[in-house]
Order: sequence, then structure tokens, then C-alpha cells
Amino acid sequence: MATRRALLKGAAALSFAPAIAMAQGTGAGRVVVIGGGFGGATAARTLKALAPRLDVTLVEPNAVYTSCPYSNGVLAAVREMSQQQFRYDGVRRAGVTVAQTSATAVDASARTVTLADGNRLSWDRLVMSPGIDINWTALPGYDEAAAQKMPHAWKAGAQTVLLRRQLQAMDDGGLVVMSAPANPYRCPPGPYERASLIAYWLKTWKPKSKLLLLDAKDAFSKQRLFQNAWTQEYPGMIEWVPLSKGGAVTSVDPSALTFVTDFARHKAAVANVIPPQKAGAIAALAGVADRTGWCPVEPVAFESTLRPGIHVLGDAAVMGAMPKSAFAANAQAKVCAAAIVDLLAGRTPVDPILINTCYSLVAPDYGISVAGVYRPDKGVLAEVPGAGGVSPLDVVGGYRGQEALYADSWFRTITGETFG
Amino acid sequence: MRLWLLPVLACVFAQAGAPAWAADAPPGASSCTGCHASVKIADSVIPHIAGRKAAEIVAAMGAYRSGAWPSSVMGRIAKGFDDRQTAAIAAWFAARPE
Ligand SMILES: Cc1cc2nc3c(=O)[nH]c(=O)nc-3n(C[C@H](O)[C@H](O)[C@H](O)COP(=O)(O)OP(=O)(O)OC[C@H]3O[C@@H](n4cnc5c(N)ncnc54)[C@H](O)[C@@H]3O)c2cc1C
Ligand code: HEC
Repeated sequence: MATRRALLKGAAALSFAPAIAMAQGTGAGRVVVIGGGFGGATAARTLKALAPRLDVTLVEPNAVYTSCPYSNGVLAAVREMSQQQFRYDGVRRAGVTVAQTSATAVDASARTVTLADGNRLSWDRLVMSPGIDINWTALPGYDEAAAQKMPHAWKAGAQTVLLRRQLQAMDDGGLVVMSAPANPYRCPPGPYERASLIAYWLKTWKPKSKLLLLDAKDAFSKQRLFQNAWTQEYPGMIEWVPLSKGGAVTSVDPSALTFVTDFARHKAAVANVIPPQKAGAIAALAGVADRTGWCPVEPVAFESTLRPGIHVLGDAAVMGAMPKSAFAANAQAKVCAAAIVDLLAGRTPVDPILINTCYSLVAPDYGISVAGVYRPDKGVLAEVPGAGGVSPLDVVGGYRGQEALYADSWFRTITGETFG
Repeated sequence: MRLWLLPVLACVFAQAGAPAWAADAPPGASSCTGCHASVKIADSVIPHIAGRKAAEIVAAMGAYRSGAWPSSVMGRIAKGFDDRQTAAIAAWFAARPE
């Protein structure tokens, strides 16, 4: 911890001396936030709430944000796309300047961001929460054209609509094939929630159909809870093929809707490829991503260990034991904003504690959860021992129904906390 | 709590309608608001805790931690906080507008 503190202070003293002088005592300074998702929108609003005199600009190309959380419900036709969409009016109301364009370059030493609209912004601190990009070179056969035939739907929006349409057009008795990637990736329980909700929909509308889930892992989040629920709710409908049984997909053939493994070729009626991922492309351009494709950060203010002055949040960052979730991105953003206010005022931020909880719906009225509490330990965010864990395996009465209701309330809370 | 409110940040609370996260938030508190909304949400089934008496919050957290109160998720969360941390979080929520 001493080393980290020294490093933070060193960075502040060397590259940010002018900013500190300017900001000290006045609460002023310039912060640019790249990406208006769960991490970025939260960070921008929180910064303004904590230090109203800060000049905060949020750079985000889309006028409307489409939420991935609960988008599996859109596939199962229990939700509509409009319920997934959020505008930036609440962010503007908080006093944030919204630049509706993309960041195309970051200069960490000149402390500037170049925008696609030609403007250039200066910053004393930069926050990046660009989410994920698909790693288009990691799975042979899977490129942007292939995603029009075998949608990933791992960035919600047009891809989600496409997959839903394909499911609805499928003949009863058709085989839905999904593939899940190796760790790390956005939303560890997401593929299994998706398999569950697709099965829920198939059970009603295409009851002769089945779902095959090819997995590059031998274990997954909330595994026993999911598998017990599948046996109970969707007997014989979901087949999960782990890595050790030949689940790893080595290539895809989009023209034949086929997944290729070392052992077999699986032809799908509807194909959903959840491909390998990396931090949003701007992270690599800014020099904050390492060779893994993700962004290493220290565990207190989430400042890049590669480029001081740049903070990385959410899915793009390597957050130790914390998973890549909307809950986590929102929690990290609030901690980061408070730390930036401290750093700009020349104070050392205190060690934070963070919580993550991921609810998953196995059916619209059947919820399960995994929770964890995290704190910095030996330079990374580590789980607090003795806390956290998953919903109990054996429950009575309306327990799963109650957790599904809590999940619904959570979604409304987190989107309100993020977008205002 | 109020004692270590820094002047730079004090003005936040003067701002009408400012969101209820605050720089004096003790470690962990800003994560609670991922579920317990800072601004009350109509018919949310997750209880609203901003503005509740600190002693009530401390008692609830203790009962969740020990298992004396059954819970879905709070037992798993409360176990991550010791008495001192819980007391600081409870005092902070108690000082938020309801
Ligand atoms: C199917 C599915 C279900 C999920 N369910 C849950 C759930 O139930 N609970 C949960 O907690 N999490 C869930 N998640 C995970 C959640 O969606 C992510 O963890 C979360 O969105 C991460 O937030 P972020 O800020 O890192 O990225 P994002 O929310 O993706 O935001 C990134 C933003 O950055 C913008 N951006 C990217 N590049 C640039 C650039 N160069 N310039 C400007 N802007 C840029 C993008 O337009 C985007 O708006 C789910 C994910 C999926 C796919
Ligand atoms: C994942 C969502 C979630 C998070 C995060 C969370 N809570 Fe809760 N909280 C709940 C739910 C749900 C209940 C109802 C009990 C249960 O089923 O766990 C609850 C109940 C409570 C209650 C009892 C309120 C009453 O009126 O009975 C208190 C107090 C409380 N939480 C405090 C906290 C504190 C403090 C934190 C942060 C350290 C926190 N909660 C984080 C979901 C959450």
C-alpha cells in the first residue's frame, strides 16, 4: 500500500502540479469522461455532485444508451427495447457538458482528447469507461459480417433485435446454438441467464426446440443454481457442453450457421456467438490497455498503471476479483469520482470498499444472485473473506420469486443512479 | 461525520436537488446506493434507507450479519463490514434526506 500511495503522490506531484495549484481550495479543474455507460455516466454526474465547480465533459456518440442488463428479457419477449433505453437529459441536468461524438485519440502527456467532430478537449484528469469491443481476430470466421448472421447481442441494440427476430422466425423443433467465451468477459453469468430465458421462451412458443450451449470453460458463475433450475424448469431442453467435453469453439462458418470444435461441427437454426472481448478500442489508442487487451489500474482511484492521470472504470479495466458488471461499473465510478475530487485538491484518497451484486433471471419470476464485497489488498481489489456468495441452493416458498422482484427494483435503481 | 466535511465539498449540500452521493461517504456507502436508491423510487421492493435512524440501520446490519434476521442478499453483504465501518455507513445514511 505504501508503494501505491507513493506512486499516486508521485504522479500527482510530477505531472499534475499545475492542475493541483489551480484546483486547490477552489474545487475547480477539468475532467473529461469518455463513454456514457454505467461507469462513465455515473462518474460524470457524481463528479458534478461532489464538486460543482469542476468542469466535466462526457464524450458519448449515442444520444440514447441501450442497457445490456435485462436485454436477455427482450430476447424472451418479456420486455421491449424501449424499456432498455436511457437518454442523457439527467446527466445534462447535473451540470455535465455532453459532447455527442466519439473520442478518437488521447494524448496522455499533453493531457488532451481529440474528438471525431474535430474538437480537442484538455483535462486535468481523464476518466475512461468505454466498455468492451468484440475481439474480431480471436475467433476464426467471426467478423463483423458474420455477426449479421450469427449475432453476438453482447452490445445491446440492433444486435439484440436481430437475435430476437431470428428466434421468432425459427421453426418449432429448431436447434439454438450458443457459444460462451473463456474468462474474462462482460457479465460472467450473462450467457447462462440468456440460455435460461431463451429456453423459457422456447418452452411456450417452440416447445419441440432445444438449446445447445458450447462453453470454453469448465465452470461458471452460479453454476449449480442455474443447472438445478434448468433441470426443474426446462427438463431436457438445455445441453451445456463444457471445455473438457469439447465445448471450446475453434471457428465458426457463418454461411452454414455452424460452430466448429475440436470434436464436432454443430449446425444451428439460430446461432448466438458470445465472442472473446477486449477493452473498448479507444483504451488501446490511449495506451492504457496492456497485451491482454484490458486495462490495469491501481485499486483506490482506478488510475491506470500505464498512464498516470487517466482513470479506467468498468468492463475495460482489470479490477482484481470484481467481475465486469453494470453494478460494479456504477460502484467503481462513485469511488473514482470521490478520489478524483481528493486528488485535484491535493488530498490522498482513502482505501475504498466496494460491493458487487449480479442478479440473473432464470425465468421472469425466478431470480438468483451472486454478491461480493471488495477492498484493496496487495495492490488489487480482493474479496473480503467471509462475505458474499450465491443464493442458497435449497429454498422454500416464494424465495426465487422474491429475488426476481428485487432484481426488477435493482434495475430501476441502477439506471436511475446512473442516468438521473 | 460533519466535522470532516471539507469546505470545498460542503457547498454540495447547499445545492438543491443534488444527488445524494457525497464526498464524506465512508468506505462502502456509495455501493449501497446501487440497490438502495438515493432518491426514493415509487413501489421499489428494496427498502429505502436514506434518512433512517442510524441505530435502526446498525441493528438491521447486525441482525443480517448474525443471521438473526433472514434475508436474501443482506446477510452476504453485511458480513463484509465490521462494527466501526457499519456505524459510519449508518450515520451517513441517517444524515441523507429521506
Ligand atoms: C446480455 C447482458 C446482460 C447483462 N446483465 C447484467 C446484469 O444483470 N447486471 C449487471 O450488473 N451487469 C450486466 N451486464 C453487464 C453490463 O452491461 C456491463 O458490465 C456494463 O455495461 C459496463 O459498463 P461500462 O461503463 O464499462 O461500459 P458500457 O455500459 O458498455 O458503456 C460504454 C460506453 O462507452 C461509449 N464509448 C465507447 N468507445 C467510445 C469512444 N471512443 N468515445 C466515446 N464514447 C465511447 C459507448 O458508446 C458506451 O455508451 C450484462 C451484459 C450483457 C451483455
Ligand atoms: C444487491 C442489492 C443490495 C445492496 C448492494 C445493499 N442492499 Fe440493503 N437490502 C437489500 C434487500 C433486497 C433488502 C431486504 C432484505 C434482503 O432480502 O436481503 C435490504 C435491506 C436492508 C436494510 C433493512 C431495511 C428495512 O427497512 O428493513 C438495511 C438497513 C440495509 N439493507 C442496509 C444496507 C447497507 C448499509 C448497504 C451497503 C453496505 C446495503 N444495504 C446494500 C438489497 C441491497
